[in-house]
Amino acid sequence: MIGWLRSWEGGLLVVFLATLALNVSFAPEFLTVQNQINLFQLSVEKIIVALVMTLIIINAEIDLSVASVMGLAAVVFAYLLNQGWGGGSAALACLLVGLVAGLFNAVLVAKVGIPSLVVTLAMMIGYRGFSRVIVQDTSLGNFPDWVTDLGQKGLIGPLPLSLVLFFVLLVALGVLLHRTGFGRQVVVIGTNADVARFSGVDVGRVKATLFVMSALISAVAGVLYAARLGSVRGDSALGFELDIITMVLLGGVSIFGGKGSMVGVFLAILIILNLRNGMALMNITGHVQTGVIGSLLILSVLLPNLVGDLRTRRARA
Amino acid sequence: MTRAVLELRAVAKSFAATAALKDMSLAIEPGEIHAIVGENGAGKSTLIKIMTGVHRPDAGEILVEGRAVTLRSTQDAQAEGIAAIYQEPMVFPDLNVAENIFISNRAGGAWLDWRAMFAEADRIVAQLGVSLDVRRAASGLTLAEQQTVEIARALSLKVKVLIMDEPTASLSAHEVERLLSIARALKAQGVAVIYISHRLDEIFRIADRVTVIRDGQHISTRPIAEVTEEGMVREMVGRAIDSFAVKTAANAVGEVALSVRGLGRAGVFRGVGFDLAKGEVLCLAGLVGARRTDVGLALFGIAPATEGSLHLHGSDVTITTPRQAMDLGIAYVSEDRRKLGLAMTLPIFSNISLASLRRFLRTLGLIDRKAEGIMAESYRKALDIRAPDCRIEVGKLSGGNQQKVMLAKWLETKPQVLIFDEPTRGIDVGAKAEVHAIIRRLAAEGVAVIVISSDLPEVLALADRVLVMREGRQVGLLDISEASQERVIALAAGTGAGVAA
Repeated sequence: MIGWLRSWEGGLLVVFLATLALNVSFAPEFLTVQNQINLFQLSVEKIIVALVMTLIIINAEIDLSVASVMGLAAVVFAYLLNQGWGGGSAALACLLVGLVAGLFNAVLVAKVGIPSLVVTLAMMIGYRGFSRVIVQDTSLGNFPDWVTDLGQKGLIGPLPLSLVLFFVLLVALGVLLHRTGFGRQVVVIGTNADVARFSGVDVGRVKATLFVMSALISAVAGVLYAARLGSVRGDSALGFELDIITMVLLGGVSIFGGKGSMVGVFLAILIILNLRNGMALMNITGHVQTGVIGSLLILSVLLPNLVGDLRTRRARA
Repeated sequence: MTRAVLELRAVAKSFAATAALKDMSLAIEPGEIHAIVGENGAGKSTLIKIMTGVHRPDAGEILVEGRAVTLRSTQDAQAEGIAAIYQEPMVFPDLNVAENIFISNRAGGAWLDWRAMFAEADRIVAQLGVSLDVRRAASGLTLAEQQTVEIARALSLKVKVLIMDEPTASLSAHEVERLLSIARALKAQGVAVIYISHRLDEIFRIADRVTVIRDGQHISTRPIAEVTEEGMVREMVGRAIDSFAVKTAANAVGEVALSVRGLGRAGVFRGVGFDLAKGEVLCLAGLVGARRTDVGLALFGIAPATEGSLHLHGSDVTITTPRQAMDLGIAYVSEDRRKLGLAMTLPIFSNISLASLRRFLRTLGLIDRKAEGIMAESYRKALDIRAPDCRIEVGKLSGGNQQKVMLAKWLETKPQVLIFDEPTRGIDVGAKAEVHAIIRRLAAEGVAVIVISSDLPEVLALADRVLVMREGRQVGLLDISEASQERVIALAAGTGAGVAA
């Protein structure tokens, strides 16, 4: 227990509680269920994708194309609805878009062997281009009421569909990462892919599975995004990938792979959402908020190094 | 007695609660080759790190030529004339040899005088008595040549004490000879060489004095003439041990498990053929570069064979992936623990279960962590892996214990054909004897074993038959009764005497 408190997750928990305390002291209405749901819902698509990004980064890869896949799925969804498709079949078509995008990334990374940073950077630009071609300079809206209801209103009690999905995925991907053979392989590959290969792990298949999973979940998140906002544009979800990666790294996941936990990422999500919301309640502008989150990330990278440095110094002295 | 160039007085060093060195005193004289021996975990690494300024002692003093010094970094140590080379040399592949030699000499302003630099590099290399083109890029250098570059680098820094840590662990026989003659050349120039090796025969050939350490303590320092191998080993392990016991009887050999005909991989090796019976130990001998490891990699499906045929338990098989090989009951214990064998930052238990993870999967692919833990624990006890429990990171174990974890990983796959690649490289005599005992026991249990080894005494102690390779070709297949050190070397080097094929 003491060991856990001194771990990264323990530190995050302390920061989270401090954030909560600060927020409550400034705005007593902060800790209501409705406010917590609201602040989650404002970023729900990002935090859903952050869960799968956690697995990808632990695997020592990166997927920069997630936000563009989200945007493309949102645009395709809106376009098909406007063409008179039913909500179900339009959503299914978006899943197909996600599947194809994911397979594309998977083949280039796992089979051809191009670094994922390059592949997904190219795809980030490419898929964004498709979105802009489809909607041009306008926006697409006029969704059926039941679609926007599903995007905004409570499904289970006050929890909307997207939040339910987040919590289901949090548990499912947490179990997948920490309790299954697949998750173990993800971690080992992230630590040392050659060791995994020499132990009979099909490294390519694990990587491919992750990239398909990532794009599929991003497509779902994109559809939810469209449903929540009620209208989409070519630049929907632009730049989300950086917020998503920030959450994962702040959660203690090593950018070099092999290390990280779902609990840590969840705590980092709680911190970022509450910090942003708290700052908004204090009338701090969005740009300053972003600056604070950025500083937090830098600190989170510096801090372990400083602590490690202090420890070695103490050991040497 | 000449004044010591480097002296440690009552040095102690602890990490957390474990004492790595206790009251260590040691004096190194100029121009001597001073061997330091001890089991893994005896404190040799810590000793080196203290002498090179990586760690600072908790207590005691370090004296250089009689002056007490404080070494805060490797730069400090270099300034005092103390440098070390390791079994894996550090060279910059894109620079040429001369640039690599002078990499830490920052004097000389922005402009390089290439002509002077090459001349100086030539002079240093010549001092070592080797021929090496200082103008060539470092990228194509063999491991031995890279070591030469490192030694030359140390010489360029006017080194007084050069520490060689397992310098021959990855070298072939004639490269070892060259390294030993370099050590003698250094000695002739008045440099003190601290020579750390598990290969006791080398120590007897070049050392002037030998220091034995055990459990972080100084046990003895004696002139080599007063030391016997048996006595030295006894001091190292603190008990009697028969590490090189000659095999008494051939293993009971059963039916053929693996039959290989004309195996080859385009451009790498060809013409390898043998029958391997259950319970038999076949050793692959040869010089470094004979492509023995590639035969292992082909059988394990990492770099699949492109020609030839394989029969396993009587049926034809082709192996193109490690998974296939493992499903056929073949396991390959790699020579490179760090890069290919173990996930160093992960705990012991997940390393052991890695190759047989399927056996621990339950519904939905969930790992049965209890069964996994019990399994790992049973190997920790059976193989005497020295760690408090199986949640310890593998990277924190000593080399010998890491080797045992790797063995456990492959034993758990219940292999029928087990390939060992340099199973005892860089581990101490105690652990080596244990690994040999495990290999013999496996053979006795009916496992067909292939051992790739550059250590001839090991080959002769373990093998039922010896397959000798030279430059990617099989040049001999000897029964142990007709194999001798001379015969194997002659075949491996291609000098006369080799008639068998």
